Amino acid sequence: MTRARQRALIFALIATGLILAGLFGLRSLNAYREFRVHRPPPAFSADSQTVETDVGLIRDWMTIPFIAKMYRVPPPVLYKALGIPSQGNRDKSLTQLNEEYFPKVPGFVETTIKAILLVNIEIPMPTLAPSPVP
Amino acid sequence: MSDFLLTQIINYGAPFLGAVVFFGALGIPFPGTLIVIAVGAFCKQGFLSWHTTGLIAWTCVVLGDCLSYAMGYYAREPVLRRFGSSDKWIKAETLFQRWGGMSVFLTRFLITGMAVPVNLLAGTGNLSFRRFLAYDLSGEAIWIFGYGGLGYLFGTQWETVSTFLNNVSGFLLGVVILAIGIWLALTILRKNEETKEQVPEL
Repeated sequence: MTRARQRALIFALIATGLILAGLFGLRSLNAYREFRVHRPPPAFSADSQTVETDVGLIRDWMTIPFIAKMYRVPPPVLYKALGIPSQGNRDKSLTQLNEEYFPKVPGFVETTIKAILLVNIEIPMPTLAPSPVP
Repeated sequence: MSDFLLTQIINYGAPFLGAVVFFGALGIPFPGTLIVIAVGAFCKQGFLSWHTTGLIAWTCVVLGDCLSYAMGYYAREPVLRRFGSSDKWIKAETLFQRWGGMSVFLTRFLITGMAVPVNLLAGTGNLSFRRFLAYDLSGEAIWIFGYGGLGYLFGTQWETVSTFLNNVSGFLLGVVILAIGIWLALTILRKNEETKEQVPEL
């Protein structure tokens, strides 16, 4: 390898390294700030009593059965609200459903699902302890 | 790409995840870390069983790594014919014998962008398959169960964890490239000084 090529290679490596480290370093710092704000959420699993209520967690890659299970709402409620059949649509993401049924209104499916969930999520009420007998 | 993969994982579960990590280990640029963290969260939410999914993903990613190691191994002959007798190749091979295991281990979960080149180098550089497998199994266990565990821990907030870890991985890749550049510059500088010293003064 000639000296000029060696210099070019070293320059390219150092420049690439600096750019990557700088760019991702800043992004890591920002992500860390956000990460610090979040703490592991309270246990939420299929068998626990906690219900997910934050509809802001809905993403357009999710499917209706996935959302229904996550928010514990029967899937037919969501299909009915959208006015689409469940058959043939179980595996489709919200984006795909939107493109297929409501191509002229971007984001319609996601917004409708969020609205319907807000109405239908059943938040378990805390059970009251029996009042002490006087 | 990520959105499509996430939709298919919630539709088809662990086998699809296995295929993603397998082809990812062969060099297809799938967002593996993001997917693993997301799957951890899906397990927490009860969509997938963590032990079956974890074992399938671990097996598939190790199989993919072994295949890319094999590609490097079978490409060894032509590479040796071309460079085998050069001092630099012998030096690089010795260096890889010394540090190869650790690079295999670290590139599984920390600097994931370098995993495929390291697999190929391990095969070409004659790192024994047993050593490669041992480091690969442990590194991938950290990637699948450690990163998946973070997704499991953070549940629906897995996106925050994923963004943070992906950026850290990119930062480390930058640091490694920078370190290689500086090391090369220093080596060449030292060599030049030695050559100058050897030139007899008139």
